[in-house]
Amino acid sequence: MPRARSTVLALLTAALACGGCGGAMQPDELSRSIGTLESAAAEGALLGADVDRDRTKATFARAHARDLGDVVDHEAEKLQDASANGLVAERKAAAVDLAGRISEALGQIQTAPGSEREGRSAASDLTRYGNRAGKLAEGL
Amino acid sequence: MKTALQIALGVIAAIGGFVDIGDIVFNAQAGASVGYPALWAVPVGVLGIMVFAEMSGRIVAVAKKPNFVLVKERYGPRLSTFTLVASLVLTVLTLGAELGGLGFVLNYFFDVSVSFFVLIAVIATAAAIYFLPFGGLERIFGYMGLALFVFFAASIKLDPDWGEIGRGFVPEAHGAAVYWYFVIGLIAAALMPYEIYFYSSGAVEEGWDERDMKVNRANAFLGFGLGGILAVSILVASTQVLKPAGITPDSVGTVALVAEVPYGELGLILAFVGILFAVGGATIDTAFSAAYNLAQHQGWKWGKRFKLLDEPRFTLSLAGFLLAGFAIAQTGVDPIELTEYAVIFSIPVLPLTYLPILLVGGDRAVMGRYANGLLSRVLGWAYFALICLLAIAAPVLFVWTNGGS
Repeated sequence: MPRARSTVLALLTAALACGGCGGAMQPDELSRSIGTLESAAAEGALLGADVDRDRTKATFARAHARDLGDVVDHEAEKLQDASANGLVAERKAAAVDLAGRISEALGQIQTAPGSEREGRSAASDLTRYGNRAGKLAEGL
Repeated sequence: MKTALQIALGVIAAIGGFVDIGDIVFNAQAGASVGYPALWAVPVGVLGIMVFAEMSGRIVAVAKKPNFVLVKERYGPRLSTFTLVASLVLTVLTLGAELGGLGFVLNYFFDVSVSFFVLIAVIATAAAIYFLPFGGLERIFGYMGLALFVFFAASIKLDPDWGEIGRGFVPEAHGAAVYWYFVIGLIAAALMPYEIYFYSSGAVEEGWDERDMKVNRANAFLGFGLGGILAVSILVASTQVLKPAGITPDSVGTVALVAEVPYGELGLILAFVGILFAVGGATIDTAFSAAYNLAQHQGWKWGKRFKLLDEPRFTLSLAGFLLAGFAIAQTGVDPIELTEYAVIFSIPVLPLTYLPILLVGGDRAVMGRYANGLLSRVLGWAYFALICLLAIAAPVLFVWTNGGS
């Protein structure tokens, strides 16, 4: 019986550790978060490039840019709420700032899904932000 | 040619089964995350469903018994009720996800609101079920879903590395848990329980008998084979477009973007038409599958082949399941996550679904000269062993890899 109880306790501890409940943000959690931002920026760049070349449907560009923006905003909220120390705290603050920029560039596509000029500008910005996110996650 | 035109049941069961809303995105995620090395898992899963679909179609042709009748006969009341409840929960969750997916796809076309289009989707599905004959449902949703072949064309146009693709079909030993998570998910996606329930009940709806053995084989091998080609195409095209860009697909819009890259707006529209009908097919599969299972377990009269109004309990349960799916979709839950959970957590139920088919398929007292031959027996039991292994591994890998992320 004591053995069964200690097994249950160990499983619960492992589950809590896996779930990342409580405590300061760990580098791998931040890395996953930045990965989400990088992915959204890269996808937004692809979408923006298609808006630029008039190769997409405006309704799709608008709705999909909005979806991507929601993902980025949600990630920014999670980052903002998490506590962190040292290098992780520095990178976390940079990631929150980057999320704001990515969201803004996606907003450009959402607002003007038929404008080739806006699409080009958003694609260029999002490519830059995606690269920046990649560098931010390095060494975590 | 005539036989080729009679494979709509296999096509809709396959497309609705393993190119549904969750699997479309799961295949793309496998391509973006693991790439070509995950390819071999698709034919492994497809061969498994071909073996069991052929067996269950043969049982219907000889014994006129769909799969849940076999479950009820072979298990005691407790185990058959447990199998019913587990399959209903998973099927209705999947139905909710499919309706949510239809809402997303329609919203990409018209940009009004997803929840509005979920309502439109449930009304359109109910109208199609009520007004169209069973064969019409199969043909419209099955064949229109083949617009997904745009991904096949895209994967060729994007000039893939054929050597890498070839090597992807050879299983390799791999240490990464994420790799095994996707491999197991791809195999399991082909073996979702509701596919086989829909297929065997659909065979009863079509009135198969011993003269239809050829039609059964064509449906099992060509129909499910086409579904497998589509799954491979999405994985390959996503490996080419999403993996190098570092994009992790989380929505059906990202998958459609894969077809837009080589073909522009036309590719996007074809992708969405294919997705719309494939997901519509999955909605029909799941709604019918839930109603068939309940009716067969309870011993009610069931089937679309009779007038729906003459079978009030079956018709009411069909309507009830659609409404339950609608309620789930309207909660705003992410349909992709919902189907991924359904795939992973359906795996422990798989042995209960497939064992009765193996037992009856091999029973000479029931099947006579149509009982399983050596090849069917060996493949059937080998796949059953694999399914039991998956039933243990899938939930563990799901937790270990944090859902493949």
